[in-house]
Amino acid sequence: MQNRIGMFALLVVLMFTLFPGSAFAAPYESYQYDFYGYAVAAPAPYLPERALTGLDLGIGHFEQPNDMHITENGHLYVLDSGNNRIVHINERGDMVRIISSFANDDGFNQPTGLYVTRDGTIYVADTENRRVVVLSAEGELKKTVENPESDILPPDFQFYPLKLTVDQAGRIYVISRGMFEGIMQFDENGQFLGFVGTNKVRPNIADYIWRYLSTREQRERMVLFIPSEFSNVDVDERGFIYATNVDLTTDETIKRINPSGEDVLKRYGYHHVKGDIQYDLYGSNRGPSRLIDIVYRGDGMYSVLDGFRGRVFTYDHEGNLLYVFGGIGNQHGVFRTPVALAAMGEKLAVLDRGTSRIMFFEPTSFGRAVNTAVSLQYQGKDEEAVPYWREALRLNANFDIAYIGIGKAYLMERKNREAMEYFKLGMNRKYYSTAFKRYRKEVMREHFGAILNTVILLSAGFVFYRIYGKVRKRRGNTGETTTV
Amino acid sequence: MKQQRFEFPFRLMIRPFSCFWDMKYEGKGTVRDAFIIVVLLVLAMILNRQFAGFLVNYYDPQLMNSLNEVRYVIVPLLLWCVSNWSITTLMDGEGKFREIFMVASYSTLPIILVLIPFTLISNFMTEEETVFYWLFIIISIVWFVWLLFVGTMTIHQYSASKTIATMFLTLIVMMIIIFLGMLMFSLLQQAFGFVYNVYREIIFRL
Repeated sequence: MQNRIGMFALLVVLMFTLFPGSAFAAPYESYQYDFYGYAVAAPAPYLPERALTGLDLGIGHFEQPNDMHITENGHLYVLDSGNNRIVHINERGDMVRIISSFANDDGFNQPTGLYVTRDGTIYVADTENRRVVVLSAEGELKKTVENPESDILPPDFQFYPLKLTVDQAGRIYVISRGMFEGIMQFDENGQFLGFVGTNKVRPNIADYIWRYLSTREQRERMVLFIPSEFSNVDVDERGFIYATNVDLTTDETIKRINPSGEDVLKRYGYHHVKGDIQYDLYGSNRGPSRLIDIVYRGDGMYSVLDGFRGRVFTYDHEGNLLYVFGGIGNQHGVFRTPVALAAMGEKLAVLDRGTSRIMFFEPTSFGRAVNTAVSLQYQGKDEEAVPYWREALRLNANFDIAYIGIGKAYLMERKNREAMEYFKLGMNRKYYSTAFKRYRKEVMREHFGAILNTVILLSAGFVFYRIYGKVRKRRGNTGETTTV
Repeated sequence: MKQQRFEFPFRLMIRPFSCFWDMKYEGKGTVRDAFIIVVLLVLAMILNRQFAGFLVNYYDPQLMNSLNEVRYVIVPLLLWCVSNWSITTLMDGEGKFREIFMVASYSTLPIILVLIPFTLISNFMTEEETVFYWLFIIISIVWFVWLLFVGTMTIHQYSASKTIATMFLTLIVMMIIIFLGMLMFSLLQQAFGFVYNVYREIIFRL
């Protein structure tokens, strides 16, 4: 027995030394949701690449970092809130500078949100100073946004900006603490414009009945039904705002808000776009995902961060869940208190406040195949996407979206029968129906002569049978009468 | 005679009043035929789950279990018969248990007759045409309820309103039976658990 355990241990050690392949390196289990809502195993789409701490940069530990941003050229900005500074790191991972003061010793006070535009302008939600600070690429103060005034704001309104994002026109979108009306929109000069994208309140029937039954005094003392606040925002290249909220009662925790303030997120997937759809109802790990950050990945893809279970969910532009990775823990590659998510090309980075470090993740061959296929499909190159879908399927036969992707390409090539097969594998009834309709028409046209002949023959046979039956009956009848 | 036996259930679908009358007073229809119809219904349900077209078939193949189908048909049917018998005995019904069972199972014939061909046809339907599939399924169920209503009325010699009232009461009694059954099982479980725990306690102390 002892010997056997020893052998097994040796085998395990050997396995890890002989195959130090990436498959062993994932400290989390990746999964996917199938059509019926079950979590099924999937290969890891992303693997931890490296961790970055303040010590690595020689500037001491980050303290309670709250946000980070990666610009398109790969520059990383970390909002080191506890130290009231911004750390700027270039694409090679070297320190560029630290911004801790601007405009003659003015500084931050517990900032929580950060955004950097393409030209390097830095926007900081300087929460406890109750203002948004805008710094130029060189770190000089451009302007501050303070104390917005408007008729639609309550008179005792306190401006505590938490998270923000900036669109290409320079409009600033701010989530403010205790502001339930929606995301605050400011123009490029810092003028308050109004709110966009209010979360709706949906009291359930029990609430109505309860309110109906209670007295006026009770009703006044009841908790108000207030909409939930947003938790984070991002903006895509067309100026649509992606926002998350931590409302545990709704299935629409992710929103895509168009310029007129409406939610236009496509939710065509099998399941709700809300992170986990299967979760414990009891215990310390219960409840839906708490989405605290969202990042637009380009080509319609977006990733959200679940701060509760430490998972990153990625969706395509139609609301199909593409992959899930990450978790809570102490190993390399999982988090203690994840707070922010950022994307750098195909790579992803998660800021962990609990361990004061940034984890970088790079795609595996599966993740890369999925990313490429989704991008190509978004650009309308369905046929070019097929080899990547096949690669994804080779690594994960449970990947329904890949079947649908291949099916779509077949449908365009008018290979209806193959398309039907793939849509069925991908459980997409709508497209299956389209492919089937075409296929049926095709078969009918091909065998039109045969079908028509059969129908004619059958009806002729039927008529003949009826006549024959009648004749026999009449004969039988007459026969009977004659014998009697 | 043999042909009549075969014809009777079909004639019953079209002319339920006279046929249920015949069933009660002329001895038409047999319990054996009733059983055959139940078996056919189970078969039709299983075939439907397994072979209905992709566009109308939402069953998870991982959860498919033919024995479950048997349970879903037989248990409600027997529950109906027992509850209906219990209620009508108290409410001056003239039907015997045998007749109640025969009415219930003969009434399911429209469901079988719709389910089997439509299972086949649904394989050749597009999404827009599946409306007809669901329409016919609903028609068959309404037909079944109609036959059950007429049958119950005839064998118990009730008025229409009294029949409706009994049918509702039967449903309630079905629920009561289920509730009592569950109660009994949970009590039994607890009792068994108690005895088992006492036994373990003794074993550990000795």
